[in-house]
This record gives sequence, structure tokens and C-alpha cells, in this order.
Amino acid sequence: MLKKNLILRNSLRLIGQRTEDIPPEGGFGAVLARAGVGKTAFLVQLALNSQLSNKNVLHISLNDPAQKVSLWYEEVFRNIAAQYNINKTNHLWEAVLKHRFIMTFKVDGFSVPKLEERLAELTEQNIFSPHMVIIDGLPFDNSVHTPLTDLKILAKNHGLHIWFAIRTHRHEEPGTGGIPAQLENVDDLFEVVILLQPKEGEIHLKVLKGRSSSSGYSELLLDPSSMLIKDKG
Amino acid sequence: MNSKILKVRNIGISAHIDAGKTTLTERILYYTKRIRAIHDVKGKDGVGATMDFMELEKERGITIASAATYCKWRNHEINIIDTPGHVDFTIEVERSLRVLDGAILVLCSVGGVQSQTITVDHQMARYKVPCIAFINKCDRVGADPFRVIKQLKNKLGHNAVAMQIPIGLEGNFSGIIDLVAMKAVYFEGDMGEDVRIENIPENLLPEAIQRREELIDSASIFSDELTEAALEDKITEDLIISAVRKAALLRKMTPVFIGSAYKNKGIQPLLNAVTKLLPCPSEIENQAFDVDDDESSVVLSNDLKKPLVALAFKLEDGQYGQLTFIRVYQGTLAKGSSILNVRTGKKVKVGRVTRIHADQMEDIDIIPAGYIGALFGIECASGDTFVSPGINLTMTSMYVPNPVISLAIAPKDNKSEANVAKALNRFTKEDPTFKISTNQETGETIISGMGELHLEVYVERMRREYNVEVITGMPRVAYRETISRRAEFNYTHKKQTGGAGQFGRVAGFMEPITEEDFVFESKVVGGAIPTQFIPSCEKSFKKCLEKGPLMEFPVVGIKVVINDGSSHSVDSSDMAFKAAARGAFLEGYAKANPVIHEPIMRVVVETPTEFQGVVMGSLNKRRGMIASAQDEGRLCVIEARVPLADMFGYSTVLRSLTQGKAQFTMEFAAYKQVPQSIAEELAKKAAEEKKSVA
Repeated sequence: MLKKNLILRNSLRLIGQRTEDIPPEGGFGAVLARAGVGKTAFLVQLALNSQLSNKNVLHISLNDPAQKVSLWYEEVFRNIAAQYNINKTNHLWEAVLKHRFIMTFKVDGFSVPKLEERLAELTEQNIFSPHMVIIDGLPFDNSVHTPLTDLKILAKNHGLHIWFAIRTHRHEEPGTGGIPAQLENVDDLFEVVILLQPKEGEIHLKVLKGRSSSSGYSELLLDPSSMLIKDKG
Repeated sequence: MNSKILKVRNIGISAHIDAGKTTLTERILYYTKRIRAIHDVKGKDGVGATMDFMELEKERGITIASAATYCKWRNHEINIIDTPGHVDFTIEVERSLRVLDGAILVLCSVGGVQSQTITVDHQMARYKVPCIAFINKCDRVGADPFRVIKQLKNKLGHNAVAMQIPIGLEGNFSGIIDLVAMKAVYFEGDMGEDVRIENIPENLLPEAIQRREELIDSASIFSDELTEAALEDKITEDLIISAVRKAALLRKMTPVFIGSAYKNKGIQPLLNAVTKLLPCPSEIENQAFDVDDDESSVVLSNDLKKPLVALAFKLEDGQYGQLTFIRVYQGTLAKGSSILNVRTGKKVKVGRVTRIHADQMEDIDIIPAGYIGALFGIECASGDTFVSPGINLTMTSMYVPNPVISLAIAPKDNKSEANVAKALNRFTKEDPTFKISTNQETGETIISGMGELHLEVYVERMRREYNVEVITGMPRVAYRETISRRAEFNYTHKKQTGGAGQFGRVAGFMEPITEEDFVFESKVVGGAIPTQFIPSCEKSFKKCLEKGPLMEFPVVGIKVVINDGSSHSVDSSDMAFKAAARGAFLEGYAKANPVIHEPIMRVVVETPTEFQGVVMGSLNKRRGMIASAQDEGRLCVIEARVPLADMFGYSTVLRSLTQGKAQFTMEFAAYKQVPQSIAEELAKKAAEEKKSVA
């Protein structure tokens, strides 16, 4: 009951569709922002939302150790619980925990074949089968096209979707259609692109791609104190 | 004692079992004239190597407890800690690395980098201990030091650079070529004590030149002077040594030496390397925590005039009482002075101060900063910090891995009981990874440690040193019972069997709680239960928790609220209300959907990445929920939550799955409900046990 309530109350639904349905199976989603704006917090909310719907999330971090990633989840979960005045969170936390698997790699030690191997170890032994994958820290440089293409095949083969956290830089000008430079040559691979933009003390969620209505600022903000998504106004 | 700190070396000798550490130490002591004869480590001549002084160790041929010893070489004072190589004794290795400034990593030229080498290397990295490598057993069939150097690079990620090359190998191993001095070195005399230096044999010269080039190339990265000298062709031995030393102290290079300890070859150059390439105590920054200042870190100095800071890193039960091995980090520890144990706050007077050479000792007056020595008659535990009165610093606590295995023990006869207690008390003081506890339910004494062999050794030591036989068994997992929903009770206890009757009625409800084990609340109003009987009710409810009705496990996480009842002016009594509360508990408990909880452990496995899949599979098979897999280059850290009941024997399983290359730690995480199938199994087992008792 508690889980259902939380899903129903979730502000993410306001993006346009149920979040677990975007991007679709085999699809890519990107969350772009400058350092420290809240990419990880945003993605962790997407992950927790999936977990609450009993969908498995594989969180891959190329920057942070597993413990730090785990702390993000605890923090965001605590904030969500506080926002909805849920007191006894132990059972709920235990319930969502089993739908999460954290995997970390050193940036230069990460490769798609390696991920494929790890994933096979998990699925073949019935340890964990993800519905959603988060990749945080993949460098979006000139060489990113090949791994992304390989990841697209992997996503399709495994029937999952992948969200990426992508860091933007202040000095970089966006390309055509406002798509940030990092996605310039690979944006065709992405079904959803969300930009987090700090503006007048608030963090706005700008859906650059993947929203049925015309692009522009959504009605959603990230609360800078809790990093939780909230309705505007 | 020589107080010239620059000439002091505190070193450890670490390696895989059977790599030849003890033989190497024996040779070092022989060449430094600390011993007059060399004995075989396996004890064929009935004497055994000097470092393996414990009887048990002699039998096993491995060094179980590290013995500290000291020797002198070329005006340098070297304190050596011989460390065990078996995975079950890693605390010994960890401890020695904590107090050492440098280490010799011994490898077998045939076996190369073995499982324990990886563990030991990881430990050295954790404590940032600079090391040099010694590839031993070059006289053995299949010896290939360059393959081992390659393994050091590939498997351990070391920037391993050969400082020597062998003259011949296997049966033809006759000496070494020093690539710094570009000389051939031969070891002659009965025990290799005569070092003969010659020109490099013609046939080996091209290889020597090529390897020297490689050495200079690697070293020049760390020294501009060496680079310049190389360009001008003015390389000196000192320039190479200084560059290699700089890199080695930063742990950016591992200089590799070769030899055969058993054949008395290559030891003297290795000792030279210890003095030339490993750091002196003042080159290592040591920190302590200021207890008075919110444990802020304080950098210690080797200044002998500063207040004392010393760490008791090992205890041994000697002939004359407790022997405390101590490393002084700051100030001077002098005979007759008063020192403070920071943990206990007790002041103690230093009696006898000694320098240890295996099980023999030499009385000295002081232990200055940077030195290792031993004290007599000081009551303390391993890991205690001693300071001068007036300061309150504590050394960084040593990393103590959590015990992973437990065993129930009992003395075979009553006579042995006192000695078992004495032995256990001693062992827990000596070894922080060895723990004792009592199972409250069964009353059994439980010993816990780092592995089966670890505990086996202590059981064996009890037999040998304390002359007691103990029976060992499997400990039980500490299951708990609890309720999972609110339930009401209303129970009347009524008995009329002639004489005064018994009457009491207790009503209320019970509900699950998570914060505490048991909460009792009385909401009885209007004297429905007379006030004087309410404590009896509470006592009775509490008593019921000791053995749960479901499977006789203790009941936890329960709140009992009584809100009504009735009494009789004559027949009500403490006893009647106790009986009524017991009945009420049983009535409520049956309705409150009782469940069994089991301890869930947080298990962290550190394994080479190639075994990641099998390790995850093994945890999964044990009802484990894997939370994360962290890739750390060659190693991978897997974290999982696994029921304790499924963890017994895991150390053995893990070892066999990973060729002994993985290690794991385990700590209590939480109690969780046992799945239905397991609960049924437990019930079946409990019923069987009951039947057998009956």
C-alpha cells in the first residue's frame, strides 16, 4: 500500500509518462548537468521509483565506490520518506534494496564486453536481472560512439533501458536544438534527454528530447535542499 | 643502544607459505652473527630454525606467531619481524606491517606470485609499506626469476625492476650479477659467508648490459640527476641507488633481488639492499590521535626528548610472565620510568626492558623512538598505546579483521576448567582476532577467529601449553522469535483444588516493535488488577520471553500492554497473576503470527576479478543478497548480505573456489525473518532434538 502511494505521488510522472516506461526497452536516457547540480540524485530517484515498482536497477558508477553510491540511495530514500511523512521505513527500504545492484568500475577499466561478461554472470546464475541500468561517469568524449552503439545492442538484447549521467561544462555552447555538445554525434541513440539547469536559485528540469509536448521548461524543479523533484509552485 | 635513527631499519619479511621466509631469516641472523649455526626449518636436526621457536610451529614448519628479532649489518641496526604466510594468520602480518617501516616480499622462483602473496601485497599497500622483493629458491628445478618479475608486474601491478641477474639457474645457480656495480658476486665457504666479487663472465655480459639499461631507464623517471648523468654517460652507483630508493619509498618501484637462502646465496646483497633502499623510522610519518581534542590527528616526531608514544603490538606468554612487544614512535621508553596506558588510564612502572632475539633476550636500558623492544610485567592488551603521563594520544588503531568462524568448546573434565579460562584469557590478549563469548542460551563457550586453522591452533595450544583437552563442536546460530502483528489476549487463571484458590485475569494486547527487545506498559485503571500484582505480571511476561513458544528461541521486539483484568479478594496472589500473565502471553503470542528471525551478516569478499562470477554464485547459493561488486583493477570487492547459518565452512569453500586468492570479512548486519522453508527445517530439527533428549 505504502509503495503504491509513493509511486502515485511521484512527481516524476509529470514528465509526461510513467518514468519506468521512458525510455522504452532498449532505449537510452540522458541526464545532463554541470558538476554538483544533481544528476546522481535525479537518477537515484528514477531508480528508487523503478525499485518501488519491483523493477530491478543496476547502478554502474565509474567515479564513486559502491559505498558512496549506496549512501546516495539512503539519502534520497530518507528524503522521500520525510517528504511523505513515512515513519517506519525499515520494511520499505528492505523491499526496495533487493531490487538494486551496484557495480563500480575504474573509468579506464570499463568496457562493454566486460559489462556484458559481468551481466552474464549475474543473469545466468539467477542472481540479478536488471530492467533498468544507470551508468554514471562514462566519459562522453570523441570515442564514446562505439561503446554507446555496443551498449545499445546490449540494452536491446537484455530488454532493458539505460540512463546516463553526463557532465556538461559551463564554457561549452549547446549544438542545434539545444542538445549539449557531449551528445552532438550520438544524440540519435537517445530517446530521452533531460537537462538540469540552475536558474535563479532553483534547478529546472528541461526535457530536451522525449517529451510528447513541445520542448521547453517542464513544471518540475529539483529542490536544492533535498535534491528531490518537486512540482513548480 | 645505537640511537642514530638513520641507521635503524624496522623490516618485515612477508610471503606465501613455503616461499622460504624462515630459512631466509635464519640466514640473515647467521650472517649478522646473531646465531652461530644454521638449522633446518622443518626440524630434521631436532633444533629447528631460530625464528620458529614455538614447538607447534616447528611441527607445522610454518611460523605461526611472528617473533621479533634484531641484528646488525654494516653499522645498521635491523629489527626483523618474521611473519606467518598462511591466510588464517593474517592478523600477525597486519600487525607487523603496522609497526614496520619497510618489508622484504619473498617469492619462490618456481611458484612465483601465489595466492597469499596477493593478500600480503594488498596488506602492504594498505599500510603503504615500501618493499623490496627477494626471489628465493633459484637453485630449484623450474626456477625462473624473470617469470616471477613478470608476475609481479602483471598480477600485483608492481613496477618490478631487476637489480640482479642470476649466474646459472637450478642446479647451476652459482651466484648473481649486481646490475648497479656491474660485478659478479659468488658466495663461498661452508655457509656462503665468503663473498667473492669478480668481473662479469663474458657470456653474461650482454644480458647484464641490457638489464642494467632497463634498470636505469626505470630509475631515471624518478631522478633528473640520473637522467642527466645517463645522457652524459656519467652514471654512478650512488645515483642509481638514490633514484631507486626514492621510487621504492614512494612505492612506485619494487627493486628485485634474487638468491637461494637454502643454498646460502644472495643474502648479503639483500641485507645491503635493506640498509640502502628501505627507509629508516624518521622517513616514515606516523600519526596518533589526540583523545582530548576530538581525536584529531597528531604527527609524531622521532625526537627523543618529546613525550613518549609507544604501541604494544604483540603479547606473548613467556617463562617469566607476559612479554609485551612494543614499538616506540616518539620519545624514549626507559627502564624505571612511569608510563600511562591510554586505554585503561592506568599508570605503570617500566621494569625490565629487553631486546628480543627469537626466544632469547638481552636486557637494555632504553628503547628510543623508532625502535622495537619488549617489556616484562606490563599488563596490557595487544594494540594498547603507552604514553608519558600528561599527554593523551592514541596510535591509530590497527586494522583488525572481524572473526569469520566460531566454534563451541568445553573442557573434557572439571579439572581443566581453570586452565581453559587462563588460556583463553591469554589468547584474547595476545590476538585481537581471537574472541571468546558465551552463548547465553546454551551456556557454551564460543571461540571465534579468522579461520578453521586459526582456531585449531589455539585448541592445540591449549593442549600443549596449558595441558588441557577440550571438546569442540559446532556453535548454534543465534535465532530469535518475534511477532509480526498485533494480537489481543484475555486470560483468566482460576484454580480451586482445596485450600486457598488461585484467581487472576489479565487482558490487553501485544504488538511488534523494532526499537527495543521488550516494552511493558500498564494501562489498567480503577484497580482492575491491584497495583501490587502488576510487577508480577511484568515479571511473568519477561520470563516468557526467555524461551519462545514457537521454537524455544528468545523472543524479542515485543510490546505488551495490559489494560484490564480482575482479581479476587482472597484467591488473587503474585503466583496467580504470574500464571495468568503466562497464559495471556501464550494466548496472545499464538494469535500474533510469531516468526523466526535469523542473524544476517554483511559479507565482503575481496577476490581477483577472474573469480568474481564463482564468488557471486557461491554467495547466491547461500541465500545471499549481493548488493554490489566493486572493480578495483586486479581485485574486485563483492558485498552481500548472507544469513549466518549459511556461512559456516565458507572460508574453506572460498579458498577452494579461488585457489586461496580471495578473502572475506563478515560482520553482523541485522536480524531478518527466516523464509518459511528454513523455518520448517528448524522446527523439524528442534523436534528431533527434543525427542532425542527425551
